Amino acid sequence: MFKDKVAIVTGGSRGIGREIVLMLAKNGADVAFTYLTNKDAAEEVALEIKKLGRRALAMQVDTRDFDKSKEFIDRTKQEFGRLDILVNNAGITKDKALMMMSKEDWLSVIDTNLNGLFNLARNAVVTFLKQKSGNIVNITSITGIVGMARQTNYAASKAGIIGFTKALAKEVAPYNIRVNAVAPGFIGTDMVAGLKEEYKKALAENIPLGRFGEPAEVANAVKFLLSEEARFITGQVVVIDGGLSLK
Amino acid sequence: MQDIDAEIKELIATIIEKDASQIDPDARFIEDLGVDSMMALEILAAIEKKYKIVIPEERLPEFITLNATIKIAKEYLADKK
Repeated sequence: MFKDKVAIVTGGSRGIGREIVLMLAKNGADVAFTYLTNKDAAEEVALEIKKLGRRALAMQVDTRDFDKSKEFIDRTKQEFGRLDILVNNAGITKDKALMMMSKEDWLSVIDTNLNGLFNLARNAVVTFLKQKSGNIVNITSITGIVGMARQTNYAASKAGIIGFTKALAKEVAPYNIRVNAVAPGFIGTDMVAGLKEEYKKALAENIPLGRFGEPAEVANAVKFLLSEEARFITGQVVVIDGGLSLK
Repeated sequence: MQDIDAEIKELIATIIEKDASQIDPDARFIEDLGVDSMMALEILAAIEKKYKIVIPEERLPEFITLNATIKIAKEYLADKK
């Protein structure tokens, strides 16, 4: 499906990002991904990619850093010779009631989730424009659509990603570049693992399909959006939440 | 080198959809010729492709006139040689 294409995924060492990285490699892409702290996990993912017969590049990049993000994209192009796909996945949460939220809690979430996405997209878009092809998928969240209590920072960043996705989709459509987003609900990853057990149970009961999602279920939607099957789809947000946002 | 001047002029004329004879070498792309940022990038990409050179995107804001563009292209062509 993505044979010999080159993909970049931010935050690829674990959770949804890891699943997307492996999905891309399984489908024939060479994959470069960033990680922030967990070198061992990143090396393990890189090894998995190589086992699948594809080239891998794992680089420690703080996507909040514009120059580092540029360096990462340049190095990917140098090592793999091209760039076709960008998946902006890296994200953090610092959930708190607004009255308890520090300026740092606010800024760090906006900086990573929103500014980080800008840094990658800005540095990749010229390549896409020049070659008149490219495909971007941004990972947002249902909290950016429906809002969740204690997530004003995260929700604002994720709603920002949706606006960014739609605006960029219109801007680059004449250049055969598609930009879409996926909005996961509660997915069984480290990000959700930190929640209290009884809270998790109550959350799952609230989901019409009765359970948390799996990272692979998000990766499947990303696969579709990046594929030729979705060639007439741009500027859209695909919600993957077991029906949670219907409530 | 005269050939390169004419070639780049022709190439830009095609991208901005004007007759080459209408392009004054010192006319400003944006203000005088209605070139937008996307067209400027297309000009850069077309020059890179034609001469098999790489011009860093940071140079894009310097693509102000035909003469300026030719000058930058020649810099990278000279580096190539």
